[in-house]
Amino acid sequence: MSHAELIQGVSTAITNFDDEEAKKKTMEALNAGVDPLEFIKRSVQPAMDHIGKLYEDGEIYLPELILAGDAASAVLEAAVPRIAINDQAKAMRGTVVIGVMFGDNHDIGKNLVKALLQAYGFKVIDLGTDVPVKTFLDTALKENADIIASSTLITTSLPYQRQLIELLKASGNRDRFYVILGGGPVNPKWTKDIGADGYGNDAKDAVALCNKLVTEDLKPPLDHPVIVGAITR
Amino acid sequence: MHNKPDIVEILTRSQTGEYCTVKDWDVRRIPGAIRAMLKKYNLAKTCDQENPVNWDYELADAFYQAGYELALELGMLCESTERIIKVSEEELNNSIKFAPSELFLGEGKDGTWLRARTPADPYPMKIAASLGITVSEDIFPILVEAIAREREVDILEAGSLVTVFGHEVLSGTPWETLMGYRHGRLHREIRRRAGRPGMGAIGSISSVTEYGQFGAYGTPGAFLPRDLALILLPSELKVDYRSLHKIIHTLNCGGVMKCDSPSMIGGMSGPPEGAVLSAIAWALLSYAILQNHTGGGEIYDVRYLANVNREGLWALSVTYQALSRNTHLLVHGIANEVSGPCTENLLYEIAAGLATLACSGSSFTTGPRTAGGKLHDYITPLECRFTAEVGHAASALEPKQVNDIVKKLLPYYESTIKTPNVGIPFQEAYDLETMQPIKEWEDIYRKVKHEVIDLGIPMDEF
Repeated sequence: MSHAELIQGVSTAITNFDDEEAKKKTMEALNAGVDPLEFIKRSVQPAMDHIGKLYEDGEIYLPELILAGDAASAVLEAAVPRIAINDQAKAMRGTVVIGVMFGDNHDIGKNLVKALLQAYGFKVIDLGTDVPVKTFLDTALKENADIIASSTLITTSLPYQRQLIELLKASGNRDRFYVILGGGPVNPKWTKDIGADGYGNDAKDAVALCNKLVTEDLKPPLDHPVIVGAITR
Repeated sequence: MHNKPDIVEILTRSQTGEYCTVKDWDVRRIPGAIRAMLKKYNLAKTCDQENPVNWDYELADAFYQAGYELALELGMLCESTERIIKVSEEELNNSIKFAPSELFLGEGKDGTWLRARTPADPYPMKIAASLGITVSEDIFPILVEAIAREREVDILEAGSLVTVFGHEVLSGTPWETLMGYRHGRLHREIRRRAGRPGMGAIGSISSVTEYGQFGAYGTPGAFLPRDLALILLPSELKVDYRSLHKIIHTLNCGGVMKCDSPSMIGGMSGPPEGAVLSAIAWALLSYAILQNHTGGGEIYDVRYLANVNREGLWALSVTYQALSRNTHLLVHGIANEVSGPCTENLLYEIAAGLATLACSGSSFTTGPRTAGGKLHDYITPLECRFTAEVGHAASALEPKQVNDIVKKLLPYYESTIKTPNVGIPFQEAYDLETMQPIKEWEDIYRKVKHEVIDLGIPMDEF
């Protein structure tokens, strides 16, 4: 089987939402000598671009987006360790640690953001819901993350977002990670008030925000947060 | 003895039911079962965006049958134990059969009868105002009193307190219990000050966890068992121990509850048709599994963070027509607006959403969700009045009439649903001395009200 066919096989497995097949085909391709960096660019990215378009067009919905993201993650987990350490960053747009703040178990919005970030080439570490503040920091350090993304739908979990910023400052890590926010009661004013770096109004806005943060020549903490998604007055 | 599972049986099943991970439930079981049911009943792609308010009752009835079958097939997942709570057909039928078809909320002349309705029912849909939009603690008493003084508003839910005694409130801490109590006391005092001490109430929205409810519901001086306990559950078709704490507490108090869990268009249930099926299944199961008294049927479009878009309105209309034509349940609807106070669009969004709910058979509604509920103090009594006026006046209209009206309203606002004008907060939209809307807001209200009357919603003239 040619390299092109092996790569196509992986893309097809992702668009079929089949993580086991994607991992198996990835190992076949890598063992056949396909360059892992080139492999990711030609398999995962086109497949997830296709998935992203299907979602935008209303042809698929959140479950399919999540399953495709899982398949893409399986490919990356197998392929990235084969890339030279210095080139590993080129394989991903960035690493995002994502979770819902302590006291809140609403996960639809977070799942949507996670799936879209994966679709657009980010490595996403999902902490789930009801996440203590310190878990965000510990995981971001462990994963050498670029961005910490937190959301909440309930007002009484909002103060934990401020506590996260305060913990990052107190531990001397505020300049290591961008902190971005989302969720029902979260808004640009709150984002600015607590000193976070960005706000996305919906899931697509969150992806645009992450892209902006990792591609522009910025460094956390930002003096003025990046706000994506219009709330006009 | 009727075969209907009681709370002991439900708790038992939450520990002994079939094991299923939350992820498997979300990404495989729910979408798989919904897709299969849409196919079996030939309901896929039936959403008609050109006619956002359905008037084809056969279609609504087909959705009911499919939703009923989905309820029996899936049951609900207990997130806390990852066990599926299922009910038999006999249990589901008995739970629906013996659920209340009317409920008196509040006390005496101030109280309100919720009644099961059908589409175009002359008995008006009842209006609870407002949704739990966050309100500053200093503003809360005067703002909520002004809402309670709006005589068209039937039931008081009120906003959510931002702080308690000036302190920020964190989830899972005793501040929540204190906030629940504070909210409950204030709520009762406000109803008394507004001259409607027996007004029906929903509580407590300030803290939606079990701690908030323990502080607020059944506590002396706060919410009483004749008020509705608010139980919000995770979607899709899920329950957790946090919610079961609240349900058991409500039952212990001899109270009545409203269980809500919106199905999400664009979420796990997929397209609008999938969300309708999920909403119907959830509503039916809530009476069997959650011991619900009223509620069920809510739908939200996560792609728009609203439901007054075409697909959202269509899904609402089909869901309430299905449930109200085939059961006597006291179903509850929510219209999710996105524009803010002192904007015409907020009132157009309210008119479209409320007319759709009212004509489709919803028993009552809670709203408005001004400015999408995202901003502190962005709620005023005037749009609460308008919500109630439209909801009452549109109740007896035929869905086909409302479809014609909504088609004329949508062009005003649909292009800005994703970029809404959030308007101005209560403190700017009202004169706080006279507690009347500023002239600009009053003029907007009068203009839009005239337009909506001209379109065919028979509200009282000024």
